[in-house]
Amino acid sequence: MNAIEVDRVSKVFGAGAVRPGIRALDGVTLRLRPGEVVGLLGPNGSGKSTLLKIVLGLVAPSAGECRLFGWPASRVEARAAVGYLPEAPGFDPHATGFEVVRFFARLGGGPAAGLKERVARAMARVGLAAVMHRRVGTYSHGMRQRLGWAQALVHDPKLVILDEPMTGLDPVGIAEAGRLIRELRAAGRSVLFTSHGLEQVAEVCDAVVILNGGRIVLDSRVEDLTRRAERVALIVDLLPPALLAELQRWLQARGITLHAAERSEPEWEQVFLEAVGGGGDRLTEAP
Amino acid sequence: MTLVAESTVREAMRQRLFLLVAGTAAAFAGGALALREFNLGASEPRFLMDVGFGAQGVFGAVLAIVASAQLFFAEFERRTALIVLARPVRRREFVFGKLGGVLVLLLGFCALMTGLLVAVLWWRGAGLDRMGEGSTVLRTGPRLGDVAWCGLVGWLRLGVLAAMTMLVASYARSSLFSVVSGFLLLIIAQMQHVAREFLGWVEAPWARGAAWLVRLLIPDFRLLDLTDQVVAGEALSGGLLCATVLYALTYLGLFSVLSAFCLRHREL
Repeated sequence: MNAIEVDRVSKVFGAGAVRPGIRALDGVTLRLRPGEVVGLLGPNGSGKSTLLKIVLGLVAPSAGECRLFGWPASRVEARAAVGYLPEAPGFDPHATGFEVVRFFARLGGGPAAGLKERVARAMARVGLAAVMHRRVGTYSHGMRQRLGWAQALVHDPKLVILDEPMTGLDPVGIAEAGRLIRELRAAGRSVLFTSHGLEQVAEVCDAVVILNGGRIVLDSRVEDLTRRAERVALIVDLLPPALLAELQRWLQARGITLHAAERSEPEWEQVFLEAVGGGGDRLTEAP
Repeated sequence: MTLVAESTVREAMRQRLFLLVAGTAAAFAGGALALREFNLGASEPRFLMDVGFGAQGVFGAVLAIVASAQLFFAEFERRTALIVLARPVRRREFVFGKLGGVLVLLLGFCALMTGLLVAVLWWRGAGLDRMGEGSTVLRTGPRLGDVAWCGLVGWLRLGVLAAMTMLVASYARSSLFSVVSGFLLLIIAQMQHVAREFLGWVEAPWARGAAWLVRLLIPDFRLLDLTDQVVAGEALSGGLLCATVLYALTYLGLFSVLSAFCLRHREL
């Protein structure tokens, strides 16, 4: 059974008898298999967050349907095994990190026995063990994001949905987030997350879906995408136009597309190095 | 639902809303101590009860409106409401939990205020007795019991006000709008008798319809105020108490259900 099944979902906000409304999603179809990690990309306003909210049953679709583990997304049973991290979450600044995660762990409905240990383990997993009894108000932005991760993972959900989990994180934090996603995949968990960075997504995902204007414009396995994205740059001396055209025909005949042929700016440093024989060491050796 | 209510109470405590409550109660107790300087004689109990229930009504109304709007909207501003509702929690459980938390907060406030009032009345009564001026209102036990009942009804009135504010908050987009609407509803509920009188002499069908609707949808807060009877020394009958409690619970239930209905259909 698929973790997520989104079937021809459309969403129109603010539609009335006179107003046409704003179409946020238009016939989106998406599948997320168990143990699969899918990255959802798209520019601002492309409908990524709306799609996640529909998946979570927080927003009702105008058309189409969405199911989690076979349950309609609007049913409470569908969300029993889901962990969710919204974009830029804030928590009660007066509570400690431990109290926040304990509250969400209890909402998850797990056994009362071992609750403290589970919370402490989740905090340690995201690197907050040392500060878990500090008030959230004293946490940095990155630490709050980690706290969001901890609450999303504390009940060991089968499906984890992350809205911009890497936004606002420093390179170390981004690497940590990538590590956590890879850990989840290794544990057989399904992950759906949104991001702006294709590179970050390609590193940790099995598949990439790109939304634009509420429609899916690309849905591809990462290996296919990588094959498409891999290119070779040939740097040659200035080619006369006739020779360039001949080269292009030669490549085309072999099924290879020439994507660009640009005249580059003169690389003066290279000219200098070639003139002096390939390096600057000799200059330092001069008396 | 219990978890959401518990979390709401904890948050209110952490935000030191309860400090405001305790501060009010302490100010009231301090005011009562200052009364020792004056000899108001037999009218002192009435004065004390007016001040006590007046403070409970005014500060409690502020607390009911602000706490309902603030504690509800804080969850949306921080996006924790999205996390809670992405768990196996129904929207009605979220609303009832939030309202339950506010009701517990208000119960603490009313218990503190009424408890202090009863203590002050008992203490001042003993003092007046020693001076030979003790009033029957203060010396007899059941009357103090009536004061406690009056405090309980006051709590229910504040609960209905919190539920009305929660209803507004469940579809409003800002905390400020909810707070302002809460105060407007409080004024309308206090002035319900005007709508009743208006209904008596107006003839235009649309005006009669509007007055009837206001009378039906918004509770009459004067019916949820037994202070006058208690201050006047009248014993509260069981029938009156039951009818009053039932009236309050009906509106509390109605506004709670409507709040849950509104949040259920709200785009988050």
